[in-house]
Amino acid sequence: MDDLTAARATMAFSLGFHIIFAAIGMTMPFLMSAAHYLYLKRGETIYLELTRMWMKGVAILFAVGAVSGTVLSFELGLLWPGFMAHAGPIIGMPFSWEGTAFFLEAVAIGLFLYGWKRMKPWVHWGTGLTVGISGFVSGIFVVAANSWMNAPQGFEWVEGAARNVDPVAAMFNRAWLHQTAHMQLAALQAVGFAVGGVHALLYLRGRAKELNLKALRIAMVFGAAAAIAQPLVGHFAGERVAELQPAKLAAIEGHFETGTHAPLTVGGIPDVETRTMKWGVELPGMLSVLAHRDPAAEVTGLDRFPREDWPPVLIVHLAFQLMVALGMLMALLGALFFWYRKKDRFPRWFLWSLAFATPLGMVAIEAGWIVTELGRQPWIIYGVMRTADAVTPVPGMVYHFFLFLILYLGLAAVTGWLFLRQIRITQRKFDEP
Amino acid sequence: MIEILVFFIAASLLLYILLGGSDFGAGILELLPGGDLREARKKVINRAMGPVWEANHMWLILIVVILFVGFPRIFTTLMISLHLPFLALLVGIVVRGTVFTFRHYDAIQEPISQRAYTWLFGLSSLWSALWLGIIAASLTRGTIDPKATDVWQAYFAPWWGFYPLSVGLFVTCIFAFLASVFLIGETDDEALKKRFRRCAAGFNGSLVVSGGLVFATSFGEKPGLFRLFLKHPPAIAALVLATALFVVLWRFVSRRQVLLTRAAASGQVVLILCGWWVLYAPNAVITTDGPLSFYAQAAPAATLRPLVFALLVGSIFIFPSLAFLLRVFKSGDREEKMK
Repeated sequence: MDDLTAARATMAFSLGFHIIFAAIGMTMPFLMSAAHYLYLKRGETIYLELTRMWMKGVAILFAVGAVSGTVLSFELGLLWPGFMAHAGPIIGMPFSWEGTAFFLEAVAIGLFLYGWKRMKPWVHWGTGLTVGISGFVSGIFVVAANSWMNAPQGFEWVEGAARNVDPVAAMFNRAWLHQTAHMQLAALQAVGFAVGGVHALLYLRGRAKELNLKALRIAMVFGAAAAIAQPLVGHFAGERVAELQPAKLAAIEGHFETGTHAPLTVGGIPDVETRTMKWGVELPGMLSVLAHRDPAAEVTGLDRFPREDWPPVLIVHLAFQLMVALGMLMALLGALFFWYRKKDRFPRWFLWSLAFATPLGMVAIEAGWIVTELGRQPWIIYGVMRTADAVTPVPGMVYHFFLFLILYLGLAAVTGWLFLRQIRITQRKFDEP
Repeated sequence: MIEILVFFIAASLLLYILLGGSDFGAGILELLPGGDLREARKKVINRAMGPVWEANHMWLILIVVILFVGFPRIFTTLMISLHLPFLALLVGIVVRGTVFTFRHYDAIQEPISQRAYTWLFGLSSLWSALWLGIIAASLTRGTIDPKATDVWQAYFAPWWGFYPLSVGLFVTCIFAFLASVFLIGETDDEALKKRFRRCAAGFNGSLVVSGGLVFATSFGEKPGLFRLFLKHPPAIAALVLATALFVVLWRFVSRRQVLLTRAAASGQVVLILCGWWVLYAPNAVITTDGPLSFYAQAAPAATLRPLVFALLVGSIFIFPSLAFLLRVFKSGDREEKMK
């Protein structure tokens, strides 16, 4: 593995690891606050048990998210000093606001976790909600910083350096809104499905039925609502990508030749050598409609870009197909959830589907970030700086990669093991009458 | 503008050493034999650190963000030349933060896993403290060579040597001393109080020794900390005062004045940082090509203004919430009253 590949692999792995915990850290507190609210309002202790159970999960996952986030703030410089030397001053604003928001989150989580007997109940509830709100806001800032790499704005690039920096224009670049909306919704969706799925499985196995059903209902309200809204937001994001990064859109769709009435290919394997799509189902004119709201519109293909500026077409296309397929499936499950919720009974096959859907949201998030990040290649700042020019001169990056690979895999294993122990203990407590 | 940013860096560094440093120190203390007080010590440390460690940790991130936004060249120089020490530090930070949380939230609290968590927490705390000191020493050694092509010269020589190691030991002792002093006031158990006092006394001694070692090893360095130190009367005054504060501190300890004891220890850290600042200001880093000063390396004003604005507005949120956090957890035990 050469140093650039190793650096990219390290970054991909660190981000891919962190995003799971970040998504949980910024949305799980909302689920927890909802349960806590129901307890305070209705005084049913089962909601208190649920709150405390989720709280323990939040505490563990938040710690992993916080430290892996710390690692990332250093990794930006450790891996991409050529990027940070220029980008730091331009996209520093969202990062400094993110720092503030995360600071509040760290304070609030300390208050919530340890403050059960030290604050008035509703003040204490407020600290839990603050964890969610500040985490959510800090997520928005981080994604806004990333969006600038896709739609770089707020500076002039003169002879390899940035001039006339405008941090406000950089932060509110043309990609920030669709990226943050898409990601924040995805976090709610993925966490709702993950939590709901675990509780569905426990319910089906006959453990602590009342608790698990209540948990599932709270979690899935968030997950299902987000899943139903997501296709619309995703479509909006797609339109923006068509406008801002035509090469990325072309790679996503495996669209090699520029043309009007461009077809949408569902599935299929793009072959870069022959510049054709194999085995896909073509929907005539649909890509033109989706990208430009007009079947006759011209959609830019990869042929308009020099070969060295192409993103890795195959993987971007497949990751996108996977994300969309999972998104559609979750939207369907979400709609069914509301349907059965209204009828106030969930058939077993539906609960089984939810159990199988546990990881789908997280998989979709990973697939989506693969599309965003690989789809931007070979650029680190789209159209301005190449990833290869930003990488650190430090040799032996492959060791750096394996170090974090082992560290994070170990961390993931221990976290998983802790959860199994937690579930076992809690459920046992509830099984005994 | 630049002054405000440097102030924020200095203040964050101070708070990171005082608050985050005590957390590192608590981990180091847990490596010491505890005898029958082992469990009680763990409980006190859990209760004292649990609510605050994540917030305490934020000061480091704040420094990183200010550096990469406001002083990008200083940041990238460090991230390249001190790549390995930072990597080592990060591994320590990841392990200690997660293990500390795992220890508390593991649903099954059996002796074997608890002991493993405690050992890992202690070792990673010690490890991180050492590397923080090594990084601190390397900043101003003048060995960072941005133009080096030789792997040793570029990535090892900047931090390799007895002097950075001595500073690492010194920082480790500061953290352990702060933790001991801080924890005296966190427990009502007399036996444990006495144990923390003895730890504080021990680390007081080792601070003097490791401080001497820092000066001694600095003779092997080119600019040499000690020779530089002798030329700066304010730095000498700061060190004399910091040492004299030991006497005051121990009086407060024997009178059981918790807040004043902590204030005295904090004063010592402030003085040491001031002494350091006097020697090197306004330079953040000294390379073989000369110093990188905060003034010369600052980003354009268009960047600095929103950064300062964000920090000031952020302070309006952060400081009151921190004060609330401290009030909730540090103003005696409200637990009884709430019941």
